Amino acid sequence: MLLFQSEEWVDKWCKRNNLERGEVLTINQVWELSKLWYGNRMSLEYHGRSFEQVAEIFRQAGLTSKFWYV
Amino acid sequence: MKDDNVLWQVRHFVYAHFAETTRPPSVDETAAHFGISIEEASELYQELNNRHAFFLEPGTMAIRMANPFSGIPTDFKVHVNGKTYFANCAWDMLGIPATLHCDAVIDAVFTESNETIRLEIKNGELAQSPTLAPHASAGVTNHQLLVHFPLPFARWYDDLVFT
Repeated sequence: MLLFQSEEWVDKWCKRNNLERGEVLTINQVWELSKLWYGNRMSLEYHGRSFEQVAEIFRQAGLTSKFWYV
Repeated sequence: MKDDNVLWQVRHFVYAHFAETTRPPSVDETAAHFGISIEEASELYQELNNRHAFFLEPGTMAIRMANPFSGIPTDFKVHVNGKTYFANCAWDMLGIPATLHCDAVIDAVFTESNETIRLEIKNGELAQSPTLAPHASAGVTNHQLLVHFPLPFARWYDDLVFT
């Protein structure tokens, strides 16, 4: 996942690399996702997560488009 | 194969080592820590790689990624409590303070424009006024900072370095 300064730079990068555009989130959205995704990563009890748990994190982060289907 | 209890203890050790030293433990260090052979530690590393708990450099026992931490230098530096970590990507640069539950200062490079930016996490919040490098032509707000996810979740593990 790469950091861009604007939508125009994303489009330029995709075109230059001959890639389809994926999903673009604001940095604020990614911070909220990070807290949900990584908040328990240092725990001994963290053993990965199920698809259901992944889907719940995406739902809590407001990521509900087909792109985020698990 | 050791039982899963040991497996997850090794995962935890790898993460604790990253947090403490900013780098992953070698398989030799992990073997010494647990009092097991290098062969046994290698088997555990491989199993954790297979389970996506962390990711080895192909053909080696070197840990390339224990997300959000990177085992190699990247364009995403995260400064926490006097230590500097490398994050794997623009998501993981925020993942490090989320993982460590710490304030952080993040220095990152924009793709394509190659300008640098400084972000700050303070008291669990992302500061709303990032700092561009001095030569930058215009100011920027968080609403303009974008992270591009090139692949849908279903394909994230096809090629994790690309993802």
